[in-house]
Amino acid sequence: MKLDADYFRALETPRLARLAPNLVAAAFPLMKLMPARFILDRAEASGELKPGAHIVETTSGTFGMAVALLAAARSYPLTLVTASSLIDRKYQARLERLDATVVAIDDPLGDGNQTGRLKFLNNTLKENPESFWTRQYDSAGNWLAYANLVDILVRNVGQIDFLVGCVGTGGSLCGTGTFLRQIFPDLKIFAVDTHRSMLFGQPVGKRMLRGLGNSVLPGNVRHELVDEIHWVGAYPAYQSAHALFRDEGVFMGPTSGAAALVAKWVASKHDGATVAVIMPDEGHRHADTIYNEAWLADLPGWPCKHPTEPETLSRIRPAKESDWTHFPWARRRLDDVLLSQ
Amino acid sequence: MVETGNLDSTVATRKPAFRAGKGHAIAHHGELLQGVFEDDAGRLHRGLMTLPLDRIRSVATFKITETARIKALPPDRTKAETAARLTLEHIDRSHTGGDLVIKSAIPVGHGYGSSTADVVSSIRAVADAHDVKLRRSSICRLAVAAEGASDAIPYEDQAVLFAHREGVVIEHFGGALPPLLVVGFKAHNGTPIDTLGLQPARYGSEEIQLFRILRGLASRSIRFQDPYLLGRVATVSAQISLRHLPKSRLDVALQIARQHHACGVQVAHSGSLVGVLLDAAQRDAWTKALDLAQTIRDAGFKDVEIHSVNTEEALENET
Ligand SMILES: Cc1ncc(COP(=O)(O)O)c(C=O)c1O
Repeated sequence: MKLDADYFRALETPRLARLAPNLVAAAFPLMKLMPARFILDRAEASGELKPGAHIVETTSGTFGMAVALLAAARSYPLTLVTASSLIDRKYQARLERLDATVVAIDDPLGDGNQTGRLKFLNNTLKENPESFWTRQYDSAGNWLAYANLVDILVRNVGQIDFLVGCVGTGGSLCGTGTFLRQIFPDLKIFAVDTHRSMLFGQPVGKRMLRGLGNSVLPGNVRHELVDEIHWVGAYPAYQSAHALFRDEGVFMGPTSGAAALVAKWVASKHDGATVAVIMPDEGHRHADTIYNEAWLADLPGWPCKHPTEPETLSRIRPAKESDWTHFPWARRRLDDVLLSQ
Repeated sequence: MVETGNLDSTVATRKPAFRAGKGHAIAHHGELLQGVFEDDAGRLHRGLMTLPLDRIRSVATFKITETARIKALPPDRTKAETAARLTLEHIDRSHTGGDLVIKSAIPVGHGYGSSTADVVSSIRAVADAHDVKLRRSSICRLAVAAEGASDAIPYEDQAVLFAHREGVVIEHFGGALPPLLVVGFKAHNGTPIDTLGLQPARYGSEEIQLFRILRGLASRSIRFQDPYLLGRVATVSAQISLRHLPKSRLDVALQIARQHHACGVQVAHSGSLVGVLLDAAQRDAWTKALDLAQTIRDAGFKDVEIHSVNTEEALENET
């Protein structure tokens, strides 16, 4: 193993940006480095991950980039399994420059073919029993890692009354929320998802906003922590990301835009309370898409009116990419909410 | 701080055999935080943050003798005797010995830190007899060498996270504790605990991660002198400690603290002491403390006392 290569620890250290007097954003260059490092460190310490062993994961997103950085620095071969519909050529080239092998599984339905990816991954594990699967969907390391974020928040902000964040695997919001609520029991947790993600009870379908939401349910999503769920469409998320850059000089990805939209609304409704929002990645990766006027102009229905308030749902249902809806989750289990529908 | 010896100006001209030194050490009321903490290299260290109690003390005198023998009084203070021996070695006087006399007002076996206080007062008395000023970090190291584990009382009201089995400070929080009133009492009907016989707690990953946050919150509470954040640190740490050393009816104490809008609840992690923390800087702090003390007595707890930490109150005020 090489010397501890920590020159990129700063990538998992969020800049704290005050978006309003009572709203603090934890703006990460690459949030997923926090769980990726924690999971690898734990597996190395326990002996589960042996020097030079093969690492595998089913992602080509930011978690893949984080594992690729660490695997390169620590000399582990890495295979990332993705779907043909999700390929981002430039991002794949960056991953490959870090010596990661990116395998794209055929995806005729265009839903990410998570089943096919898992089948491929399980075969790899069977053929090579020494290999290590980081399991961001259900590894406890994913959510436990976010004690680091809470440490940064409490040292710099102190008491926090509302936490807002996206849900993809659930690690960041549920980890941060679990710890933060232990020290501030009155904490309210607002989850941000997108239309046609199944995480909070919507029927699955094609999702335009990538990085948050899911078509399968990861074990790291803990519904009982969540007070309120917001579904933000792709368009208001893009518009919110644009506004963050223009108004605050904070250049972030579209999921950060979605989270900021909800957080600003929460902060405006609760004057005396302190709101913290998690922003998972920077805008550079999205320069050719959501920060590109030509790309935006080709979107059906773009430009559209920016919603200033969410529509309150009494029944969970999908909505248009230009819509923003919310629903009082009230810390219930998914099954209980679905039964009540 | 090392107290200056109570010797008059003629001392310097006396024979070394008659020189004596004096040292004191304060008690504590258990811990505000105790757990394991990761250093920058990822290694874990057991550590704690002591709640000092300067009203009760151990006082030691040490009279130098020329034989390399140390005689302690009372004779059962063997750890203090060891500490005196180690101190002589540390200051390069191991060819000498002395008579060590300890007088302590600190009750034994409840988590007031009586043993460490005897050790620390003895170290200070030996150093004082030899006109040596020791740094607090040296006193801590000697204390741990003498008794295996120690607490941070040499730092008195300065807030530090202290590795109590290694004798080193993990983090200096950079200031004194905010002024507090502590309504203290004893769980378990006041039955003493053999503190040195306790097994060290084994913490799980979630607890270790929570300790990281509590350390961050403790740092914030000292930097901004916020007794409420410090109270949250203490309460969560006390709740974790319950999983390792159960305290009867702590839930009742927690509930009373909440009803009285106290900052939080702390415990002696190896003792029976429990303390409800109040902001001493708030209006009518003493009235609130007296009221809280009565509620706690009415709930059936033993030996209810009010202590002040880092306040400007006259000592007579304390009950
Ligand atoms: C850009 C981006 N935003 C948000 C998320 C959701 O975070 P989590 O998986 O911790 O729920 C992810 C996760 O993949 C992401 O890559």
